[in-house]
Amino acid sequence: MSYLELKNVDKYYGDVHAIKGVNLTINKGEFIVFVGPSGCGKSTLLRMIAGLEEINDGDLVLDGNEITHQAPSKRDLAMVFQSYALYPHMTVEENMSFALRIKGEDQSMIDQKVAKAAETLNLTPYLKRTPKELSGGQRQRVAIGRAIVRSPKVFLFDEPLSNLDAALRGQTRVEIAELHRDLNATSIYVTHDQVEAMTLADRVVVLQAGVIEQVGTPMELYEAPANKFVAQFIGMPQMNLLSASYFSGISADAVDVGVRPEHFTIVEAGQGSISGQVELIEALGNETLIHVCLDCNGEKLIVRQYEQPSIKVRDTVSINYDASHLHQFDAKGEAIR
Amino acid sequence: MSTKKSKWTTSLIVRTIAAWGIALLLFFPLIFMGFTAFKTELQAIAVPSLWAFEPTLENFHVVNERSDYVQFAWNSVVTSVVSTVLGLLIAAPAAYSMAFSPTKGTNGLLLWMLSTKFMPAVGALLPIYIIFQQLGLLDTKTALVIIFTMMNLPIMVWMLYTYFKDIPHEILEAARMDGASVWQEFRHVLLPLGIGGLASTGLLCLVLAWNEAFWALNLGAADAGTLATMMVSYSSPEGLFWAKLSAASLMAIAPIVVIGWFSQKQLVQGLTFGAVK
Repeated sequence: MSYLELKNVDKYYGDVHAIKGVNLTINKGEFIVFVGPSGCGKSTLLRMIAGLEEINDGDLVLDGNEITHQAPSKRDLAMVFQSYALYPHMTVEENMSFALRIKGEDQSMIDQKVAKAAETLNLTPYLKRTPKELSGGQRQRVAIGRAIVRSPKVFLFDEPLSNLDAALRGQTRVEIAELHRDLNATSIYVTHDQVEAMTLADRVVVLQAGVIEQVGTPMELYEAPANKFVAQFIGMPQMNLLSASYFSGISADAVDVGVRPEHFTIVEAGQGSISGQVELIEALGNETLIHVCLDCNGEKLIVRQYEQPSIKVRDTVSINYDASHLHQFDAKGEAIR
Repeated sequence: MSTKKSKWTTSLIVRTIAAWGIALLLFFPLIFMGFTAFKTELQAIAVPSLWAFEPTLENFHVVNERSDYVQFAWNSVVTSVVSTVLGLLIAAPAAYSMAFSPTKGTNGLLLWMLSTKFMPAVGALLPIYIIFQQLGLLDTKTALVIIFTMMNLPIMVWMLYTYFKDIPHEILEAARMDGASVWQEFRHVLLPLGIGGLASTGLLCLVLAWNEAFWALNLGAADAGTLATMMVSYSSPEGLFWAKLSAASLMAIAPIVVIGWFSQKQLVQGLTFGAVK
């Protein structure tokens, strides 16, 4: 059931057309992730939903009500900011209860909700502290707690983990996923980190230059990217993109062919359809990434291998591809199905 | 055995002497005034100046009897306090909107506001005098409150703008997302975070209004006269009465010096805000 709907939404900054006619339908209880490179408009789109940026054209509908030009305070959405944006002069408890207090809710109800959220987020011992007495991870949890106590219609997360260190980021990511599962709340999450996008999302929205490139489940994006941009943006390391001439039995319209690193295999000399020279071997423990330069005409590819390779740098190798996992793209860069 | 190096290096001694020298030079007129206030008129004009004398409170008695110090002081308190409060009430929302919702014209507007301070006050005297005369406001505290407020507004807006600019925008956005109205956002978030800025801006403008003499003399010398006008009355019209003038001046500046002394931390912080981080 459609819960939040963006209809032909536009945003201009002077002459710059930042968001170009975006259409998107979000269902109740869904975890949606906006992902894309810096400056693609993902945060702008989130802020437009929040009401912090004006929508220049188009409509925004939430739960059947048109809220395109409604003030942010009236939308009943909660936002977790990248910088946490906690109220520095208030204690953790006051930060978390602020929304309920200004709404004039019953004090015992407020105490109950804050206590429950604090318990969920392991913040109970810190309720009387101010934000400056907390670590980055704790601050982020307070910001999440501030959103939870309100039971809003939609949670908005604006790159909430990017200020945390790698270990804490992984841990908090898991916590957010668990929280979403427990609360079953509709959430929109902005990130440039595709690991966050792939692990958290029910559906991922890939944006580029203010346009939605593809919307789909993480596996749909990985296995059936709609175009070259999505193909290369999702997946680490990037999908290999080679000219069609290396491949046989493909569409006549195909100009480029994409192959994920794990769909290449290094085979005995002369047995593969592509040959090249090993440029670099990255042993990551659980896997090895082999960078190969193809007859050194400028094209390169990466092969992912799970067993220890017996080859060395500057060896000439023969490579085979898995024909069932080829992604063919036409001259415009669109996928050929 | 290693000898402990003396704290007092030559350069430190020179710098200390220089600092004290400059401080004394700047402070000398005040010291001189302070001494003169406790001399008789004859002692006050003695050349060379007397530094050892029997202090007298006579000048203060005379000034109080002749000038109704309380009336002047009351006028000073009313005009400076009311103009400061009024100024803050106007400047805070202005600075808020300029800091958090700037438009293309904001910088120009700020510069234009400051540029009004570039003009000598006397340049605007005639039109303002005539306007106030037409409105029947001459020699009223209302006139001084209006003019002091106008006079300090550009500084107030600038100072508060600088303060507010330093408050992360996202904190206010968070309040908006939490359902706060503009007033609640101001009352619960901006005010507590900007209280330091509001206090130092208010203090500075209080001092400026208290010490203002030009407009006070021209628009309200009699009934609405402030302490600044009282001081002036001891100079030219009745000849130069150094001791009484000093006593009057000392009485005029005493309240604000005490306030300034206790709030100097806020004042310095306010004036250097954003300059040192």
